[in-house]
Amino acid sequence: MSAGLDNLKHIVVLMMENRSFDHMLGALKQKYPKINGLTGDESNPDTNGATVNVQQKAQFQSQLDPDPDHHFPGVDLQIFGGAPPGPGRVANMQGFVKDYFSQTKDVNRSHNILYYFDSEKDLPVLSTLATEFAVFNGWFSSIPGPTICNRAFAHYGTSFGQVGMDIFYILDTAVLSIYERMIQAGRTAKIYYYDQPSSTMEIVNLLKNQPQIFATLDQFISDCAGNTLPDYSFIEPCYNDHPGPDGGQILASDQHPDHNVREGERFIANVYNAIRTNPTLWQNTVLLVVYDEHGGIYDHVIPPACTPDGNIASADATGTGEPFAFDRLGIRVPAILISPWIPRGTVVPGTEDPANAQIFEHASIPGTVTNFFLNGDAKRTDREQKANSFLGLLTDQMRPDDDCVVFNNLQ
Amino acid sequence: MPPKVIAVPKTDPGAYNPNRPAGTLLQAQALHMREALIRHVHELTTLLDIDMKSLRTEADVSAYVHRATALLHTRAGKTAKT
Repeated sequence: MSAGLDNLKHIVVLMMENRSFDHMLGALKQKYPKINGLTGDESNPDTNGATVNVQQKAQFQSQLDPDPDHHFPGVDLQIFGGAPPGPGRVANMQGFVKDYFSQTKDVNRSHNILYYFDSEKDLPVLSTLATEFAVFNGWFSSIPGPTICNRAFAHYGTSFGQVGMDIFYILDTAVLSIYERMIQAGRTAKIYYYDQPSSTMEIVNLLKNQPQIFATLDQFISDCAGNTLPDYSFIEPCYNDHPGPDGGQILASDQHPDHNVREGERFIANVYNAIRTNPTLWQNTVLLVVYDEHGGIYDHVIPPACTPDGNIASADATGTGEPFAFDRLGIRVPAILISPWIPRGTVVPGTEDPANAQIFEHASIPGTVTNFFLNGDAKRTDREQKANSFLGLLTDQMRPDDDCVVFNNLQ
Repeated sequence: MPPKVIAVPKTDPGAYNPNRPAGTLLQAQALHMREALIRHVHELTTLLDIDMKSLRTEADVSAYVHRATALLHTRAGKTAKT
């Protein structure tokens, strides 16, 4: 066991919304060749038959309205380019523009789905964390589908057969959420949502009337300052624009299109700073920043196969005419692991390096937490048990305090 | 030597738009909240009387979600901060 693991007391996960790896971090490849981003030659055909290259023209807001399709049939089109389901079809990531045209009905506007940020200039927080700590070339959403089923994998290691946005009832299942597992074992765990007008997307636990696992972001900041952070924390951003308690303006910080990406940057910086500025907490905490799914936005990496979780979604449920056995992953998302025990510039190889690839998905979250805090002692899916743990990135060498950045949120 | 400080730019003025139409995620969140509220129907008559089709903007959804979350937490005797 590394010294970093020996010192570890807290795991914190911040899950953002609906942006693909290439859209946010793809530009970093130009300066950091190990990062599996974009060369600029990647393309999709549009509905006029023209070949359209990716372009570094992403904007913070207003470019992805209507909200790009990311439900199961749409993502199937994005991955397989429109080839009908059936044996022998090959994933090619060629259907993003076609799918977005079906919403925009405007050929030029459909090209927006290929736009990506100038990461270092536009996204100083995300790009700094990616290059100062560890970035995953191969962290994928768990399902080629939308938010609720993907977030379920982060909480339960499965979506219980769901591939959509329907609420799911798990009252009789033996597979508990990671929070319930922790609490039953005498450990501590919390979901910190932003505030009550934003609340949580993890409704199942509300249904089970277990509000003791919930708190607001203010409490997270206070728990960080007071050294009262739980063993495991899951943080949710603000999901909507709404008035503040004193009449101010609270902006959505989840980065879900068409919410302002820059507000999400500020939110990530706030969460990082809350840990970073407490010297004790900084040394014994690991922070994972990850996105739930790609939000319909282009990524060039073909999602790999994965261990099935034992469920089958029917052809009716998938909407493609073909059932889904949860045997392949969704589209790649940004994921960054942060700790002073991680060397600067760590790049975790993905599918671009088959001999050394370490593939991650959201089942890795409860999997890692269960392995570390509970010695793997919990009823869980085969999928979660076989998911890679991300704590192996912690080393024996802790970086000095002046070697780790701090963010200054300009007012 | 102090650590390197990275300045985080301000969010663009005018980004705030609570009248933006609520997307499928927020609509689903409100629907899921409604499902949760059904478990506490005796206390929730007024919330359940709200027509879901009237939740068109983010402000509409946030107001509804706010009331639903506060009420669910109140049942446990400890209310999370607003």
